[in-house]
Amino acid sequence: MTVRPMKVDGRRLRSERTKQLIIEAYLALAQDLSPRVPTAAEIAARAGYSVRSIFERFPDILALQVAAVDYCFAQVSALAPPRGAEGDRASRIEAHVRTRAQTCERWVRLWHSLVVNQGDSPELKARVRSARDSVTERIELMFAPEFATMPHDERRRTLIVLEALTDVESWERMREYFGLSVDEACAVWIQTIDRLLPRNPDEAA
Amino acid sequence: MTAAGEGVPAASATPGLKDGRRLRSARTRQLIVDAYLALLRERPQIPTAASIAQRAGYSVRSVFERFPDLHALRVAATDEALLKASAQVAARPANGTRRERIHAHVQMRGHICEEWLPLWRALNANQGDSPDLKARIRLVREMVVRRIEEIYAPELATLEPCERRQTVLAIEALVDFESWARLRGQFELSFEQACAVWVHAIDRLLPKTSADC
Repeated sequence: MTVRPMKVDGRRLRSERTKQLIIEAYLALAQDLSPRVPTAAEIAARAGYSVRSIFERFPDILALQVAAVDYCFAQVSALAPPRGAEGDRASRIEAHVRTRAQTCERWVRLWHSLVVNQGDSPELKARVRSARDSVTERIELMFAPEFATMPHDERRRTLIVLEALTDVESWERMREYFGLSVDEACAVWIQTIDRLLPRNPDEAA
Repeated sequence: MTAAGEGVPAASATPGLKDGRRLRSARTRQLIVDAYLALLRERPQIPTAASIAQRAGYSVRSVFERFPDLHALRVAATDEALLKASAQVAARPANGTRRERIHAHVQMRGHICEEWLPLWRALNANQGDSPDLKARIRLVREMVVRRIEEIYAPELATLEPCERRQTVLAIEALVDFESWARLRGQFELSFEQACAVWVHAIDRLLPKTSADC
């Protein structure tokens, strides 16, 4: 009587572990093949399970993609918490750019795959939007002293532009197409943010 | 085969008939490319051969008689877009006051992004290991950068090389297709509102213009 619940838990744990390994296999392949979406057969081979095992846990590849994106976002939040929001203007810009750069460097290929393959999936579109919203929130937090001096419309415009300019795609272009090093790419973003943000009167003095 | 071409051996066909056949074939080819582009604009999914054929009003066989595979069709559609976009850009002079140049540049980029975003996305999704498509993506980006350097030459000339490059790259990122998609889709801005965001940002990114002000 007392053994049964443990057996069930063990089975559930194994199933969760399989699910996690499938997600990790998908992510590894999506990273390698970006922007092509890996096939079920490729994911199964990489994870070391059968195709049937995949579809026992995910109704379709889209559901697997969504689970993988959620897993990535959780990792991004855990690995890149907001920091440096207390310093002076220059150090806040530097801290923000370095954190964004680290995130972009790590996730650029997966993000590219997500953006390119979102198609008309409401689930994937919602996640792209949510990721951008969280970047916008971070920008608002980091540059609160500067935004506080701006009228509402200008604040919104600046936020939109800063989010777009420090986007993963912007990073990807600088690194892969224009061939900039991490430091050179960071320098572009630092200059850009510095020019777009108004001077904080307290710091200007 | 059309009625006019049926049963006429190629060797005995007159030049007029040959020209007519060639014209019809070119027209069919064009309609297939147009169908591909129209489908891309309607739904953000890569069109299948069957849907392209149906939209163009031809058989799938006709599609593959003119293009060996869908990749060749994508390349042809991309080349057509590049040609049209280049003509649109060339029609706009890169001179005027700072304000005029920023406005003209932004309006042009806005129109190009509006028209070609679906194709740009398809191009990125399909590039895979294709050197043809990768080369075209590179070409588009080079064209955008060259245009920025040309339009803002008076302002960029006042900067040191490193700062100039950083400014060009920032403007290039700003006026990118996905940046436009975000303004129009995610933030639901009208065409004019989206242009206003870009105009304001470019004005902040550029150094002062000594000549016009």
